[in-house]
Amino acid sequence: MRMKTALGATFGVIAMTAAAGAQQIDPSLKPYNAVSGVSGNLKSIGSDTLNNLMTLWAEGFKAKYPSVKIEIEGKGSSTAPPALINGTAQFGPMSRPMKSAEIDEFEKKFGYKPSAIRGAVDALAIFVHKDNPIKCLSLQQVDAVFSKTRKGGGDKDIATWGQVGATGDWADKPISLYGRNSASGTYGYFKEVALFNGDYKDSVKEQPGSSAVVQGVASDKFAIGYSGVGYKTADVRSVPLSATVGAECFNATSENAYSGDYPISRFLYVYVNVNPNQRLDPIRAEFIEYVYSRQGQEAVVKDGYFPITAKIAETDLKVNKLRN
Amino acid sequence: MTTELANNSGTVKLGRSTRFRRRTATDFAAEGEPFVWALGGALALGILMIVGFLALVIWNGIVTFIPKPIVVVTATNGDVFAGEPVRSEQFRPGPEVLAPLAPDARAAIAANGGLASRTLYRVGNYDLYGEDFRWIAAHDVKSIEAPTGLVLVERLEWGPFIGTIKSVELGDSAKEVAASTVGEIAAAHDRARERWQRLHRIERNDIGAVNYDLNQDRLRLRKIEIESGPASQAYTQAKQRFAEREANLKRDYERLSAMVAALRADDDKEVITFADVRGREKTISLSAVVRMYKANDLGLVGKIGVYLSRWWEFLSDEPREANTEGGVFPAIFGTFVMTLLLVVAVTPFGVITALYLREYAKQGRLVAVARISVNNLAGVPSIVYGVFGLGFFAYILGGTIDHLFYAERLPSPTFGSGGLLWSSLTLALLTVPVVIVATEEAVAAVPRSMREGSLACGASKWQTIRYVVLPRAMPGIMTGIILAMARGAGEVAPLMLVGVVKLAPELPLDGFFPYIHLERSFMHLGFHIYDVGFQSRNSEAGKPMVFVATLLLIVLIALMNASAIVVRNRLKRKFVGSQF
Repeated sequence: MRMKTALGATFGVIAMTAAAGAQQIDPSLKPYNAVSGVSGNLKSIGSDTLNNLMTLWAEGFKAKYPSVKIEIEGKGSSTAPPALINGTAQFGPMSRPMKSAEIDEFEKKFGYKPSAIRGAVDALAIFVHKDNPIKCLSLQQVDAVFSKTRKGGGDKDIATWGQVGATGDWADKPISLYGRNSASGTYGYFKEVALFNGDYKDSVKEQPGSSAVVQGVASDKFAIGYSGVGYKTADVRSVPLSATVGAECFNATSENAYSGDYPISRFLYVYVNVNPNQRLDPIRAEFIEYVYSRQGQEAVVKDGYFPITAKIAETDLKVNKLRN
Repeated sequence: MTTELANNSGTVKLGRSTRFRRRTATDFAAEGEPFVWALGGALALGILMIVGFLALVIWNGIVTFIPKPIVVVTATNGDVFAGEPVRSEQFRPGPEVLAPLAPDARAAIAANGGLASRTLYRVGNYDLYGEDFRWIAAHDVKSIEAPTGLVLVERLEWGPFIGTIKSVELGDSAKEVAASTVGEIAAAHDRARERWQRLHRIERNDIGAVNYDLNQDRLRLRKIEIESGPASQAYTQAKQRFAEREANLKRDYERLSAMVAALRADDDKEVITFADVRGREKTISLSAVVRMYKANDLGLVGKIGVYLSRWWEFLSDEPREANTEGGVFPAIFGTFVMTLLLVVAVTPFGVITALYLREYAKQGRLVAVARISVNNLAGVPSIVYGVFGLGFFAYILGGTIDHLFYAERLPSPTFGSGGLLWSSLTLALLTVPVVIVATEEAVAAVPRSMREGSLACGASKWQTIRYVVLPRAMPGIMTGIILAMARGAGEVAPLMLVGVVKLAPELPLDGFFPYIHLERSFMHLGFHIYDVGFQSRNSEAGKPMVFVATLLLIVLIALMNASAIVVRNRLKRKFVGSQF
């Protein structure tokens, strides 16, 4: 899995210790220090998975630079590339990497590629009702539950809880499916990794937001749904997942996401239009610095996602020539 | 009438008693009695639904801010936590839950028909626990106590903290908290909050003004660069001027920054340390505490105080923590200003159209088609207007305006993306049929004799309309405007496309020229409800806020409608007074 190697390689060396419950932040991330002369407008259009996180970042940034005007709009990852291309937004948060078609279109207009910032790590969680007895699901089972094409290799369609191992009252109950709408990056990423690029069943109830998926699952006892782990509430439970049938199941925790053991973890991106031949204007440069700072990553934890490490921050800043 | 009908149908020939019975049956239906009942019933049902809905919203909205007691729950597995009980429910535990239980607990559940109960607690302390709500089943609870001294702390960040105050550090000396220092803490907290607000004001107003001037100068320079080219003399001179001004402003900025830094240094010296029920400590700046109270020690007066201060914060403050906390003032203001602008746009447009259609246009096929089109406009789904507004107003109209007047700001759009003006115009378009239809009706209801009287006195057609028809039709027109306003204020779907955003704390009205910024995106209560309810990280915590925001939106719309109705009644009275 692409993501597994990417995440595993980056985090492999770094031992992260997480205290019970709360996330720890890489201590080598530097605290953010305000500089002078930063003002102007800051507009972000894109992913709704990242909507709250962008808002938290923006609030923190505004606390440092009170005269900065902020506008955050989040209607799905697919809205980010057009906004960047048309210049209606300076930042395009996306919960999936840009597709090559989107990058091409951007390059056609500007002559260079958009810069990607990896701002946070998310484990895409499979949520079930809190009373659901299911202990573990393999990706193939997830595929057979959500997909009508079953490209993951499941031989039979899964429609009842009994088929994934539930017993008693649960065995004959049909599985009710909740998912995201197609503008969402979560939809695209789940389709790519958990559905092996197959098609969703028509019975998936497509919700307009991650929180709506969780609320759907919370109020429907026999439901299953997917969304970012940050949206977990006390009414739902995230099911441990295994990459292949019969393999060990891993919980959607930060360690498992970093090590790549949890099969559907991903980076959350913020795309920026950075002209490699010009100096980046202070407001965008400082915002990017802020995202990679200790405070920025604290906001990530606050929103329920997993923070990135200092190493990723350094790499991204260097690759995008954001820091000299 | 009914007797005649009965007679005609040949009942006369029947015996007296039969005839009597048939006649009552016929009368009952013919008098329309069942229809009256059905209609009355439908009305009652409608009122019941509205009252029920309002009662639900008002009740949930009112109770949200009441401070709740905090209990300490000790679980059978030794876990201890403190929290506000939120709600309880019955559930049917599965075999895997029942198996490890003690036999008597199992027997109790079996005796209850296999049902057990559980309670949801709001435990707060998200920074320590990584969760803010927790369910616990009744059979897992060892004991529940409500000790005094537990505080609920509302913080600027990380949501509420539930625990005890461990120590405060004011200036140089750290103090263990004793009973005598409680008043001292409260006083210090007030001072810290005041300082924080002063800090906020300096940052926002004074430094904001410096940055605004700097930005304006920068834009002016850019404009000269575009107009006369970077090699021209005008540009070189402008650049020199800009450098001077920039240096001046930089000095101002440095001075204000030093003030802010001094205040911040004071702020950093005062910290408060809390401990949760298991003794884990958390130290935060005293000014980051929005409000703290001892939940179990509050008397009635204290409770009312907390309740009112929460409402005040909600109504007057900016949102915090991705809109889940703090207030909704920008959203209230945005909704209000947008609705006003909508009225300003829709009234002349709708009234003029209706006057032309009714008074001037020759009543023919063309006018009939126009009228049908207007009526059909009212039936178009609102999201279609949103798409139209985005495509036509924002992209085409706004894009052109940007190229003509704001070229120095490109590529970032000024009017070329959604904003307050485009939102109001889109909604005006959406509601204009309501005003047209209402105005037409009102104008048509003005008696012909009055117009003829006016014309006979030598008034022109326009004078007749202006002085006779319009005043008489005014109450009807006002009704149309009220309806349009009510429809527009409650509409969210098209706004999401043309200018409403999740976060835009900057108000469209401020102290910088031209004072009203129609191009800015804004926040809207309706969208805020959607956002908090379906987009926030923790939907459980968002739920009560949804009710409060809904209550507020209803009150706001009711207030605006009520004031419009008052104006209408004034007009009516004025008109009655001037009658012959």
